[in-house]
Amino acid sequence: MAKRDPFLTPGLILIVGFLTVCPVVMLILGSFSPQLESFGHFTAEKYIKAYGDPAFREVLFNTVIFVAGSAVVATILALFLAYLNTRTNIPFKFLFRVISIIPMMIPHILFAVSWALLLNPSNGLINLALRQLFQIEGSWFNIYTLPGMILVEGLLDLPIAYLVIAPAMGAFDVSMEESSRVCGASTLRTLLRITLPILRPAILAALILVIVRSLASFAVPSVIGMPGRIDVLATHIYRIVSTGFATDYGTASAIGMSALSAAVVLIYIYRYLTSAGERYVTVSSRGYRPTVIDLKGARYPLFALVGLFSFVLILLPVLVLFYTSLVPYSMVPGAKALRLMSWKHWIAVLSDPISLVSLKNSLFLGTLGASLGVLLSIFVSYVIVKVRTRASALLESLSFLSFSFPGIVIGIGFMWFFVRTPLYATIWALLIGYIATYLPYGIRPLSSAFIQIHSHLEESSRVCGARTLYTLRRIVLPLLVPGIVSAWILMATMFLRELSVSVVLSRPGTEVLAVQILRFAEDGLWGRLSALGIVMILISTTLVVCAYLVGARLTRTTAVAGG
Amino acid sequence: MEIRIRNLTKSYFAEGKRIQALVDVNLTIPPNQIFTLLGPSGCGKTTLLRSVVGLETPDSGEIAIGEEIVFSKEKGIFVPAEKRGLGMVFQTYAIWPHMTVFDNVAYPLQVRRDPPSIIRQKVAETLRFVQLEGFENRPATQLSGGQQQRVALARALVAEPKVILFDEPLSNLDAKLREETRKELRSFLTKLGITAVYVTHDRIEALSLSDRMAVMKDGRVVEIGTPKEIYFDSDQKFVADFIGRANLISGRIVETNGRYTWADSPIGRIACRAKPELVPGTEVSVCIRPEFIEILTKEPNEGVNLFRGKVHSLIFVGDAYEGEIRVGEVSILTRVEAEAGIEEGGTVTLHFDPQRCLILSR
Repeated sequence: MAKRDPFLTPGLILIVGFLTVCPVVMLILGSFSPQLESFGHFTAEKYIKAYGDPAFREVLFNTVIFVAGSAVVATILALFLAYLNTRTNIPFKFLFRVISIIPMMIPHILFAVSWALLLNPSNGLINLALRQLFQIEGSWFNIYTLPGMILVEGLLDLPIAYLVIAPAMGAFDVSMEESSRVCGASTLRTLLRITLPILRPAILAALILVIVRSLASFAVPSVIGMPGRIDVLATHIYRIVSTGFATDYGTASAIGMSALSAAVVLIYIYRYLTSAGERYVTVSSRGYRPTVIDLKGARYPLFALVGLFSFVLILLPVLVLFYTSLVPYSMVPGAKALRLMSWKHWIAVLSDPISLVSLKNSLFLGTLGASLGVLLSIFVSYVIVKVRTRASALLESLSFLSFSFPGIVIGIGFMWFFVRTPLYATIWALLIGYIATYLPYGIRPLSSAFIQIHSHLEESSRVCGARTLYTLRRIVLPLLVPGIVSAWILMATMFLRELSVSVVLSRPGTEVLAVQILRFAEDGLWGRLSALGIVMILISTTLVVCAYLVGARLTRTTAVAGG
Repeated sequence: MEIRIRNLTKSYFAEGKRIQALVDVNLTIPPNQIFTLLGPSGCGKTTLLRSVVGLETPDSGEIAIGEEIVFSKEKGIFVPAEKRGLGMVFQTYAIWPHMTVFDNVAYPLQVRRDPPSIIRQKVAETLRFVQLEGFENRPATQLSGGQQQRVALARALVAEPKVILFDEPLSNLDAKLREETRKELRSFLTKLGITAVYVTHDRIEALSLSDRMAVMKDGRVVEIGTPKEIYFDSDQKFVADFIGRANLISGRIVETNGRYTWADSPIGRIACRAKPELVPGTEVSVCIRPEFIEILTKEPNEGVNLFRGKVHSLIFVGDAYEGEIRVGEVSILTRVEAEAGIEEGGTVTLHFDPQRCLILSR
């Protein structure tokens, strides 16, 4: 890796630039155009239509409440869990790793569906059980409300907020707290006056990240919001482009512009906060152990609470879906349910041609798409971390841009582009859209892998007499494998469950799993939906396990291979 | 093997500024000795080392290792690092974390495709030499700092290189371990008798390890010599100050008469080691190290270099005191034996040994 290819950086800027700038430019142009098929003459008419619509004010109001609420719920829960994990003697700490990683494998749409199955007002399992138990009419809970949406979205985004806050809390210099204690402050006072203010950059970063994510979220608004007639920006856009007789991409683009610009601004604030955060969250010297707060009697009750969280986040959705896939219609578990259980829905799904096509497409996108995405990420990360020129800084900014992309908006941007190319309505359109939207998820683990490969490790191999290729094979690649594996896992699971880009770009013949699940949800076919959902979870778990095994094998073989 | 460096220059751009890392460096590193490059950080010593090993390309000049020219701008020669056949120990050790100790050490032999039986034998020998027998199957990440350092040394030695280069190899160890490792390294290298080039910013490391050394500043080699020559006889203010604690007193040459050269200074006239080439009136610095200042409690009758002063402070540093004596306006740093019977505020007479008073160019 010693020689710098003069074409590498410009080539990558071209590719990444196309992926990130093209949909944005097309979206802007589209929002000033009369219709999808032609740009025609420029007009502001779509903006007037989009923002003049009286329904828009309510959509905006809902969006703000939804987004802010989810951010607060996710961040507070994340703070609580991170504090328990890094600073107290709570037992079974491995559970926290589970909480922070496993939920990423459960597709958001399935998580949302499982909550709808539990708490919908007409036949939600909990509502049915309560009715049976107390012999009452009506429903106690209704998930199809703003608080319901906020709860589910907040739980979904909890792992992301946790991944931002936990490292900051772990790297926090405890002596600052200790000096507060020495000054006579109580634990609580220290927490409020010292710990939280010092962690403010991390907390703000988590809040902003969740805001961006929930702004882009489509699964929860479509499954939980739409049945309750609560529209947010994402579902408002979706209604404009996919329901009714005349789809109106211009108006959708005009609305998408505000979602996109809000997200871009927020994500750059996030970037500023995290880079500044590294500066003033003191990472203390090596070998330090944070003082652990003894929870005493509260140890097991608090652990029970964490256990409940992991159950709700991981097991509950799977259990609900599996149960629903076996019973003919929604009913409370019991003797009657057991008697009526059958594989009927499974057989229906597995013989449904559209479901099978979507399965095939999603597998294709998950494996090939992730592999291409990782390949691109390897080169981009290499240039960002190791080449370090002004051009590589541009590349970094470009690739970071897509971190802010709300899938449905970027899907519409790409729509304006693909309609003019033969790629329209092909699986390649989806593949390009996916890579553009999820590129940062590949770049991030790979950049940190490259950062860990100190230049001395390569140089010492060269001094030992090894040529560039030999060094690449025996030193760089084996050290990169863990990064490649986690990037691949992230991208593959993201692609397999992708919904928001797909709802725009997917056409007959290019259906994907999440879109098919959304169709089932819209038609109320909960049994089939659940069966397909379980298949989806199984596939993504299998992919993750395979990737781990291949990675472990690669590391072993390349490390010991003799000359 | 001798290393000859001729007119080497190197500059690079960092944050929009051109930085001269090496300015016309000329240096001959004698064969089969330990040679140290000493200098403050940013003086270009690491750049010089990396140019020798082939990890940096200088802008101009020539480097020859033994008979072979490995770099020459004029002749258009650049032998890449992997073909120079050198060994190097990096500051970070650069132990590959995904390999065992055996694989780390065997790597240079695997690269040149030695037969496995020979590899096994040589690795075992080298590990015995650095006292790491039985560590073959240990993952490299499960080693202490000192052990990692020895693995790095074994890896650099195993292929029997022409020259071995060290880039501040002890700076990541704690003080006590550093001292032990330094002694070990000295004995390893003396036993091997190969050419070793050692880069450091630590003067004690340089003085205790080297057979010869060069002091660098701002990309230039400012002085070359044995450690004793550098310590006692340097005639440059920067070197004298950098290599140890020194009192530097500004003065002006008066005359040279036979044994001494005399200089006028704010504390009075000082008799210094003779330097007849200096013209009267030249502005100079007189350097006297604290350990060569005698402290007299009784006023002697006569003699040269006697200065009366007041004890301003005494700081206990373990085996002695560090005394600050004010002679007029000038503070003189001295070493005061613990039982000298001197107190703060007292008056003493200082005696400078004229042979230890060095005249340095300003």
